[in-house]
Amino acid sequence: MIEKIIRWMPQLLNGARTTIIITIISVSIGLVLAVFLALGKMSRHKILSAPCSAYIFFFRGTPLLMQIYFIYFGLPQLNPALTIRSAFVAALIAYVLNTAAYLAENIRAGIQSIDKGQFEAAKALGLTYGQTMRLVIIPQTVRRLIPPVGNEFIMVLKDVSLVAIIGLTDLTKVTRAISSSSATALVYIPAMILYLIITAFFTFIFNKLENKYSVYQ
Amino acid sequence: MKKRILSAALAAMMTAAMLVGCGSSSSSSESTEAATQTEESTEAETSSEAAEESSDYTIESGVLMVGMEIGYPPMEYFDEDGATPIGYDVEVATALAEVLGLELEIVDTAWDGIFAGVTTDKYDCIISCVSYTEDRDNNYLLSSPYVANAPVIVVPNDSEIADIMDLEGMAVAVQMETTADYLIQEYIENGLDTDLRQYEKVINAFDEIKAGRVDAVCTDSVVASYYLGDEATNYKTVWQSDEKEPIVICMKQGNEALAEKINEGMAELFENGTMAELAVKYFGTEDVIEGLAEGFGVE
Repeated sequence: MIEKIIRWMPQLLNGARTTIIITIISVSIGLVLAVFLALGKMSRHKILSAPCSAYIFFFRGTPLLMQIYFIYFGLPQLNPALTIRSAFVAALIAYVLNTAAYLAENIRAGIQSIDKGQFEAAKALGLTYGQTMRLVIIPQTVRRLIPPVGNEFIMVLKDVSLVAIIGLTDLTKVTRAISSSSATALVYIPAMILYLIITAFFTFIFNKLENKYSVYQ
Repeated sequence: MKKRILSAALAAMMTAAMLVGCGSSSSSSESTEAATQTEESTEAETSSEAAEESSDYTIESGVLMVGMEIGYPPMEYFDEDGATPIGYDVEVATALAEVLGLELEIVDTAWDGIFAGVTTDKYDCIISCVSYTEDRDNNYLLSSPYVANAPVIVVPNDSEIADIMDLEGMAVAVQMETTADYLIQEYIENGLDTDLRQYEKVINAFDEIKAGRVDAVCTDSVVASYYLGDEATNYKTVWQSDEKEPIVICMKQGNEALAEKINEGMAELFENGTMAELAVKYFGTEDVIEGLAEGFGVE
């Protein structure tokens, strides 16, 4: 068993690398997009809040599997100009767009959890809306956001297993390929342990971040 | 104290709910088991005994359960209503069940794991464009071939690819775990430098060539003819493997009783012209079944 696991390891690690890269890039870019979506959705101007709400509604309301399928296989048939050459880029786009919708709701919840008095105090000091957000509210939101962002990160990590449908090779696909070529389902054991190790590592990082940002509380 | 009582009550309620949940699910799975006529208990016994019992069971119960990966036109796919299985294998299975006097039940399953399903008696046999391979012959009981297939390479009309060796430096799409996939992998091992892209569904391989992201599709000839029929004007078949792949019915190792029945049934279908009729209907030619009747003892 041990020697089998050692033989499978290079392939499994290769798949794990794809899984980790897609997760990190998607959540990082998704987070930036999510800040704008959250602020947009909270805006008093309908022209800003309506499209942001619609975006979040769409990406949270349809299966990620379908979004990946549509972006990769659907768009080219809608219009050849929308063809995304690389499956990797198509996957990144799908995950960024999807995770941004979820993160935006987390961020909105974080901002709205800040006491109303803070907004009033900022106003009394003569800060503009932008200044209030940038200098007062967002710094306090960051700490509260770390647990839900960490949660979303781990969700994305496992959702990356869907990329097999567009021909990419992540940890789950490697595992399935090994399982069918060597006629054993035992390869799922080292694969699941790898997932747990990755999750444990990032949980540790997010815990560290949380401690670092909780100095004021 | 009050809090503790409350939490204890909650815990008790949850446990009760879980027990009820388990109870109902196990009873419902029992009833489906009874309905699908699979005997889990026989599995514990020796394999040949188990196989004999389960096959006898099939014939006695009057239901032939056939495993298929429905999504492989024209062999097996869903009609436009998304619920009715149609296609060549579906018609073969229907005709086979009819001549055997059995009722047909089609079990839709993912290709990934379809063979595990026959071993664990989820269905009696697989009629799902299963190509003969030595590995499969060692692990399962295979019928004589009922249709012959060959991997082919499909390219857009304006492509310069004319042979499998022309795939050098090109991207080729296949359905993963199929014989076309294995064929390209074999060529890669022997030094052909091609970018192999594997997809879960064969339709995605064709989506890829339509989107222009791959240069060629390697697939079964029986499948290619369907897609070419649909878009004959845009694509062409440029290369066909010399080695014809026999397509067989796959049963559980040791299930001789069922194999004998299926053999008899297929012989009758070849004799009464059903197989020839289906070949013409789906592939436009009787070539695909040429010489196969003998395998079932028909002259």
